[in-house]
Amino acid sequence: MSKRTLAVLLTAALCISALAGCEKRPERMEFTTFAMDTVMNFTLYGSRKDCSTVQSVLTDRLAGYEDMLSVTKEDSFVYAVNHANGEWVEIPDDDILALLYSVQGLGLVTGGALDFTAYPAVKAWGFTSGEHRVPSDEELEELAEKIDYTAVKLDGNTVALPQGMEIDLGAVAKGWAGDQMWKAVKENGVSSALLDLGQSTIVAVGTKPEGNPWRIGVVDPAQPGNYFAVVELADMAMGTSGGYQRYFEQDGEIYWHILDPDTAAPARSGLSSVTVIAPSAFFCDGLSTALFVMGLEEGVQFWRNDPNFEAIFVTEEGKIYRTAGLEGRFSLAEGYTDREVVVLK
Amino acid sequence: MKAKVILLLLLGAVAASAAFLLLRHGNASAPVARITRDGAVLEEIALDKVDAPYSLTFEDESGRNVVTVERDRIRVSEADCPDRVCVNQGWISDGTVPIICLPHRLMIEIVGAGGDVDGAAG
Repeated sequence: MSKRTLAVLLTAALCISALAGCEKRPERMEFTTFAMDTVMNFTLYGSRKDCSTVQSVLTDRLAGYEDMLSVTKEDSFVYAVNHANGEWVEIPDDDILALLYSVQGLGLVTGGALDFTAYPAVKAWGFTSGEHRVPSDEELEELAEKIDYTAVKLDGNTVALPQGMEIDLGAVAKGWAGDQMWKAVKENGVSSALLDLGQSTIVAVGTKPEGNPWRIGVVDPAQPGNYFAVVELADMAMGTSGGYQRYFEQDGEIYWHILDPDTAAPARSGLSSVTVIAPSAFFCDGLSTALFVMGLEEGVQFWRNDPNFEAIFVTEEGKIYRTAGLEGRFSLAEGYTDREVVVLK
Repeated sequence: MKAKVILLLLLGAVAASAAFLLLRHGNASAPVARITRDGAVLEEIALDKVDAPYSLTFEDESGRNVVTVERDRIRVSEADCPDRVCVNQGWISDGTVPIICLPHRLMIEIVGAGGDVDGAAG
């Protein structure tokens, strides 16, 4: 055994040991929690200390949001508003005040396609209790008359509803929570994270630790166990609305949970899912619902008038449309590569 | 003699380090279905080792789910939850989209399949 061989081996051993032992990488922390009527999954990259701080901050905040925004919890803010018999109710904090103004504003810009006063109709269909039923035409007409986001009165830090009206922030609550948590994650020193708020809302904080964008599958509405496309996201939110997410079947007919505020009945616009990609999870969440209600033609027109977001539309026939700005960030998934994608310009 | 011992030790160190690196960076690609309730693991099933299809029933005070397992895939085939979202979802075979029965707080996810996406929306 020559000294030289020994030296080479020693160097090799040292190098490999150094690689194995001392390579500095951020730690990965993943946790799952049941909140806001869904299962949320969080993936964080950072120092162990920062990750666990973020975990406890997010868990606390989620519990707080649920206590405030739940329509069923009897001590929630939303419940208080819905049961105030027309009286003014104090809004607990500025974040909720901003949320109420934002959701009313989104109602305005979408021409009422997003309306947070549809709760009595949601209840009538049984989507809250699980005891599903199909209301009669007269009942629906009556319910539709009471859906009107412009009737919600906001004054200073108080809110009031006309008698018989009820609000439900379900269409935007997860998106709004996503934005709040996005901020909280960054403030606590974690710059790489994926916040999955029950799949309908995703927030990609920064990039993956090695600098690549997060790769998010978009669920195939015809086969919700699969994804038909992959979208790459970095510091970006994404929201999907689809009839397949919650529905019931009666007499061979499918009734889903996304209601058209004009008819109080499930929105049948010819779309089976809409995905919105934008720098605000609130906007993605609410707008995906509104575009679903509008349908392809009106939805595309909306985008052309205000192209500050990207979108993917899937029709009930399975046709895929995407906006041009997704070029380079959108690809069809395995098994779907032969599908035609119409690029909207 | 002494040199030989050192050589052996060194070889051992090189092999161990290399193995550590390979194992850590390699992707174990056997898909395992992990069934949890409220985050607690109820069952883990190596889906590539399933020879014949079978069913499992998970029941507690919230209700009942019947899970059917086949080679490389798994689904909820029956449930007494009101909306049956879990049943409607059908089969899953990779780690992209977990099956969730919210009323029963039951979740089926596939781990270790080394999927090429980080999450899913829908």
